[in-house]
Amino acid sequence: MSRGSIFQISSSVYCQRKAMSTGSLWSISRPAIRTCRRTMATQVSEPVLQPQKGPKPVLSTAVILNRSPTITRTPTMFERAYYSYQARLRRALSNPFPYDFYFKPGSILETRFTMEEQKRERRAFGPTFGKQDDYDKEKAAANRAAAQQLAEQEGESEEMMPRVHSSDEARDYKSLDRKGKRNLYLLLKDTNDAWRFPQGNVEKGELLHQAAQRDMHAECGEYMDAWIVSRNPIGHYKPPMTLSPKGKPLPEQVTFFFKAHIMQGQCRPAETIKDFAWLTKQEIESYVDKHYWDGIKDILSDH
Amino acid sequence: MPLRAPSVARFGRPPAIRKPLPLSPTTRLPQPPVKIVTRDFAPCRLEDHYHSTLQDNLMYLTYTHELGPRPPPRQIRLTYDPNNPYSKYRHNPPVGGSQLGRKLPPPCTPENVVQLEKVQIHIMNKEAITNRSNLLGTVMALRALTGETEKAGGQHAVEGVQIVRGKKQVGGWIRKGIPVGAKVTLKGPAMYDFIGTLTEFVLPRIREFQGVELPPASANTETPSAVSGVVSFGLPPSAMAFFPQVEVNQDAYPKMYGMHIHFVTNATGVGAQDRARALVSGFQIPFVRRS
Repeated sequence: MSRGSIFQISSSVYCQRKAMSTGSLWSISRPAIRTCRRTMATQVSEPVLQPQKGPKPVLSTAVILNRSPTITRTPTMFERAYYSYQARLRRALSNPFPYDFYFKPGSILETRFTMEEQKRERRAFGPTFGKQDDYDKEKAAANRAAAQQLAEQEGESEEMMPRVHSSDEARDYKSLDRKGKRNLYLLLKDTNDAWRFPQGNVEKGELLHQAAQRDMHAECGEYMDAWIVSRNPIGHYKPPMTLSPKGKPLPEQVTFFFKAHIMQGQCRPAETIKDFAWLTKQEIESYVDKHYWDGIKDILSDH
Repeated sequence: MPLRAPSVARFGRPPAIRKPLPLSPTTRLPQPPVKIVTRDFAPCRLEDHYHSTLQDNLMYLTYTHELGPRPPPRQIRLTYDPNNPYSKYRHNPPVGGSQLGRKLPPPCTPENVVQLEKVQIHIMNKEAITNRSNLLGTVMALRALTGETEKAGGQHAVEGVQIVRGKKQVGGWIRKGIPVGAKVTLKGPAMYDFIGTLTEFVLPRIREFQGVELPPASANTETPSAVSGVVSFGLPPSAMAFFPQVEVNQDAYPKMYGMHIHFVTNATGVGAQDRARALVSGFQIPFVRRS
């Protein structure tokens, strides 16, 4: 794979696409032009075919800075029902557990495991499952006490972290801890009060992915560690055509998107940026304008 | 009293069996009237990670742009004339050998993003050559590590721990057909659980482990292993004690065994191993360059 040449590739694709869509001269296929040029050298009288040059399109790069999910998603009702049914089936069909291989007979660990296993089996097969087995009430009480003592020794009363972060309750859109189950994307508010991804122009002689890296740091600050996934752009966006005051079409604007992951730190936007927010795909729709949304919605993840 | 929907994860008593079930002629155990097969019984964290993050990233990372359809493959003359009745059924590779190492990967599409197909763990036990009962510890260790049994959960394709036999007679080393090791193939959630255990409990605790060493830049990229999309590495015997399944009763095993782990992906063609490594490193298995 020739990663170094991606800019050349993408720009040539772009030119080809433009050739398909614009003026009649360009619609002549490449071999045809070549033959015309070849004949030019021998027969001077033939009309010269020169492609008409419009204004060069202005290229810019944007970075879709992503924070991947940090916690597992909550299974749906159907999934929970399915999983618990399958777990029950598996428990019924599985081979018996080799207690004597894993536990010393009569040890507290074995006692605790047996009690926990009994609890799980009753949950799977009904509250009366295995009732006739615990005939000795005194022994059962002693077992419970031993297991409790073991739990205290091991300090098993560790609390689980809540699945909803405090920044969710506070509606803190700048926090990287919000919406742990979802993919979040960084959106910036520029001087025109428009929300967009971090972006910037491509300088002359610069490769697209290098421009993306430079522009991301220029707008989001140096206080974060981000990794641009690929040198290939993952999509492009063209804003609607605008006319100059004289009525001539202005050069076309093309934005190439690159995907990046934030690893560490936080965005500290430049002074030209009014605000920033970490948003899910659904939230982005209400922030950006319709044309921009239609251009980017298929790039973003529904997860 | 407020109405509460019954929990989907709780079950009542199973229905009473009114007619005795027919007994299996071999095991004399009651047989259910249908074939019961169990499937995934818990959400899988690493599989979700693959679908929410890795798959997109790998598609962007491994994408190669192609303009237009591919040119037809070069026709290379076969070694023997295929119309000659004398050599009609003979193995007839193209002149210069098979072109396996130069086969192009299929065009990049969202459908064929590199994906894990299976993980295979293989332990060779040399002591089994002299006494095959030495394999018992190996088999037990593999069963503890993976929890796989033959036809587990009614799935006929699950093979469990399999005995590996010598393929060839090699003087002073191995004999043909004798058991020398054991292997197990993991697929689906069991595979992802094993990778999770490996990367969270085992690899961080191996002493002076920097990562899986990459081959040098001068390594041949046309070998069958480089174009088949399999990533393999070995673990030393000391690493087995770090698996929590073995750690709890390490004394129960006669000794610790090293193992080979193969990550089999769907990548094929030139550069398949690189793409497979990109995938495997997404599951937090580190790779380092040889210094």
